[in-house]
Amino acid sequence: MSQISHDKVEVVIIGSGIAGSTMAAELGEAAFNVLVLEAGPERKLSDMISSQIWSRRLRWAGPEVLETGDLVGAANFAMGWGTGGAGLHWYANWYRLHPDDFRVRSLFGRSLDWPIGYDDLRPWYDHAQSYFGVSGNDDSNAPSGEAYPMPATSMSKQSSAIKPGFDAEGLELTTNTLAINSAPYAGRAGCLLDGWCDAGCPIGALTNPLVLQWPRARKAGVELRHNAYVARIETDPSGSKATGVLYLDEQGRENLQPADIVISACHTIWNARLLLLSTSDKHPDGLGNGSKTLGRYFTSHALTTIHGLFSQETEPHLGVSGANTLCLDGYEDKQPAKGAFGSRAWLVGQAAKPNDLLGTALAKPELYGEALDDYLRNASRHYGNMTVLCEEDSIPENRITLDPSKRDRYGLPQAHVINSLPHANATRSKLAKEEGLRIFKAAGTTDAWAGPRNPMHMMGGTIMGDDASASVTNSFGQVHEVDNLFVAGASLFPTPGAVNPTATLAALVFRTADYIRTHRSEWLP
Amino acid sequence: MIGRRHFLTRVIPTTFWTSFIMRSLSRNAEAKTVENESYKTLTTTEAETLGAWCAIIVSGAGQAGVARFVDENLAGDQAASLLLLRYLDASDMAGFYRNGISGIEKECQHRFGLSFARANADQRLELVEAAIASKMQVWTNPNPNFFYFISRSDAVDVVYGTQAGFADLNIPYLAHIPPPRPW
Repeated sequence: MSQISHDKVEVVIIGSGIAGSTMAAELGEAAFNVLVLEAGPERKLSDMISSQIWSRRLRWAGPEVLETGDLVGAANFAMGWGTGGAGLHWYANWYRLHPDDFRVRSLFGRSLDWPIGYDDLRPWYDHAQSYFGVSGNDDSNAPSGEAYPMPATSMSKQSSAIKPGFDAEGLELTTNTLAINSAPYAGRAGCLLDGWCDAGCPIGALTNPLVLQWPRARKAGVELRHNAYVARIETDPSGSKATGVLYLDEQGRENLQPADIVISACHTIWNARLLLLSTSDKHPDGLGNGSKTLGRYFTSHALTTIHGLFSQETEPHLGVSGANTLCLDGYEDKQPAKGAFGSRAWLVGQAAKPNDLLGTALAKPELYGEALDDYLRNASRHYGNMTVLCEEDSIPENRITLDPSKRDRYGLPQAHVINSLPHANATRSKLAKEEGLRIFKAAGTTDAWAGPRNPMHMMGGTIMGDDASASVTNSFGQVHEVDNLFVAGASLFPTPGAVNPTATLAALVFRTADYIRTHRSEWLP
Repeated sequence: MIGRRHFLTRVIPTTFWTSFIMRSLSRNAEAKTVENESYKTLTTTEAETLGAWCAIIVSGAGQAGVARFVDENLAGDQAASLLLLRYLDASDMAGFYRNGISGIEKECQHRFGLSFARANADQRLELVEAAIASKMQVWTNPNPNFFYFISRSDAVDVVYGTQAGFADLNIPYLAHIPPPRPW
């Protein structure tokens, strides 16, 4: 089959999600000629149907990922497919990593250090929260930064029911910080608190790429090409320069897209996989893999949800999918007991509908028949929940690899994720679960129980570092061995902390975009 | 190793269920009439077994069209699928359901010498409880506990996850964009 060749662009970005679309808008507005390749179909706001059933169409529908280990299973749920990627169904929880999260190796002799510290990223966090539109109040347990552009949403009935439990435990429960408008902001509506966030927010109160980045990017002349599945990054004969990408279109035809700068802005697994797939005689183990760390140091957050039934009405269907309130009190204590390690954060009062993975019915999977019906009628008025995120150490054994024995629909080796929670983190997770049950019992629940430990968020695999012999990119996401190749996304994180990654992902994108802007002449003819 | 299929259930005392009586009423005003129509992926027998299995787990699931819901979504493009299974294992969704339904039949034959269609209410309950407790005798693939989890979710979707289901639970639906049809 003949290959289709396209005209060269200055920048080609792989992936149209939050990382890719933000990068595209930034570089487009800086007058770069930018093309974005998206593996999935075109999405419109009208695709954001308020239904847990119908919203499944927004989720990943690309090649399957093989997952093994005791903290896996979230890939297809977490990833998106089509314009905006996971940015169409994300929960908009917006947190900064804490200063100690950047120096875990130095401070505790385990996991890794980042090549940058909190102070390096702080101005980009400040910029990102203004750009995205973040609501929140001051929280003495959160890292310092500029005030949020909007006040927090008010405390829900769910949170009000749970709060006495935190009080009894001596922990401060605060309003949450969310990339959701608590009031009209930047031409977008304020949130109606109807609890449909993870089905997509067509009014744009929860910011998403269709209402924020893509209008800006398109206005700046950025081209977006759908159904373009990038199979490899091409390099010149010296192996030191990326020359473009090879992608497969909807008909399965090979397309060669030349570019001066290549930016891989896929979801975590796919950033690592794409570099692993891009082998050549100069890079037999994949691009950026001279250190043999490509794919390694994959991390997640160990999640446990505490469920409860309260005597008072909690209106669990209302609010936001992310969390109404937050507890970072105690986050700084990474060694809460002997043999336990890691920070933890409580996300409290998540809106819950009856069905889907996070719905009230699956909170009690053992119930069926009349017992299920009775429970759901009670839960629809009296249910409350909160989720703890616990830190996972970055270890080389947890990794993304290619499985040459299994081929995906494009004939490429299947991605394989291996992730098991280190023992000290599992001990920390168990402590958090016990804390959560104490909180719910102290809050006066009539019934309280904990769900199983599951993964949430995916990070690492193309980690940044100062030492080219122990990392894949520098702090700007620039691949060590290929100067005009960048990675954007949570795959860059050397450590995950215990908070949702998108604020940090966005801050890094803005920092990298600024770096590319100010070094333009190094890559463009 | 605990994989993606090991989600879910806790074993509960069997005695809890002794007073359970199947309820056949349909509370879903949007329930679809599915009889006398051919299925696209499943055989009629497979669909009837799945519907009967789900009706034990969620009252009204059969009348709400759970078998049709599964069948139609297996027949279409995976990217357009409305099945929760796509989150957890989309590698061979039709095979997953076929093998699970076959597992129900094999287990039922092994225990009672009957097809699931001919099993009585107590016998059907026994099978569901065995799936919850991961105590199947001959059914191993797919994991019966995981099949229970997925089929239960399908049944919950069509009975409680629609606008009519919300209304039945007295939950205001509050749609930005209402679904064009229940599923």
